[in-house]
Amino acid sequence: MNEGGEKMSESLNDASLSEQLSIIHTKGTLDWAYPVFILASTAAAMDKKVELFFTFYGLNCLLKDTSGLKVSPLGNPGMVMKSPVGPDWLKRVDWNKALPGLVWTLPGAAKLATWGFKKQMLLEGQVPVEELRALCIELGVSMTACQMTIDLMGYQQSDFIEPISFSGAATYFANTPKTQSLFI
Amino acid sequence: MPCFSRVDVVDIRVDSKGLACPMPVIKLKKALTQNPEQKSVFLLALTDEGGLKDIPAFCQQQKLDWVLLQETPFIEFKVWRMS
Repeated sequence: MNEGGEKMSESLNDASLSEQLSIIHTKGTLDWAYPVFILASTAAAMDKKVELFFTFYGLNCLLKDTSGLKVSPLGNPGMVMKSPVGPDWLKRVDWNKALPGLVWTLPGAAKLATWGFKKQMLLEGQVPVEELRALCIELGVSMTACQMTIDLMGYQQSDFIEPISFSGAATYFANTPKTQSLFI
Repeated sequence: MPCFSRVDVVDIRVDSKGLACPMPVIKLKKALTQNPEQKSVFLLALTDEGGLKDIPAFCQQQKLDWVLLQETPFIEFKVWRMS
């Protein structure tokens, strides 16, 4: 290839790189799953090539059974927890600020918080996370589960939704843009 | 005398009322994919106020023309492909 041709292919490559989004997701709670799938589906709808890499607790987001995706105010001071039901004065109370953190250690607290979070999300016009995940796949988002952490946590490949791929960090980096977006 | 000039253009209604970000954009994208004809005209209805900025941004990036038809009782955009 002559010099001009090389320059052209380089600039084309740069242009296609700017149309890529890559997120490494390590969190296994419901509140962290939403932003990843929201950003990924939007970017895919805008014709960007989207690669998601799920590792450690982030693997929870790819399981067929999403019942493990929960949310808890415990150790999560930024979470706003309001009642999705009841009179208006009750709905305005942020229970994560109003109650001492010790309350969230009680049995059933995570279950209650997860129920409230899901209900609130639906009331605000969000779709269930499984539906958002299916939309991402329909829009062409590539999802990769980290094989090392699958082994570490004792999952089987059959525990995961299809179609996703299984590989390690090196394969992922070889197939993704030079710049990475990291969700810590 | 009736005018038949637009007789072959059927507005495609996309209803994303009651749905939050990112659903209005995704529903519009799906409608665009399902109706690839250049002459297709889309009427997008939504209630998510974030869409007032997001839909024009999406249209600009996707090379679509748009016009805001109304903001109440729900937001409505008319969207079509740039000629």
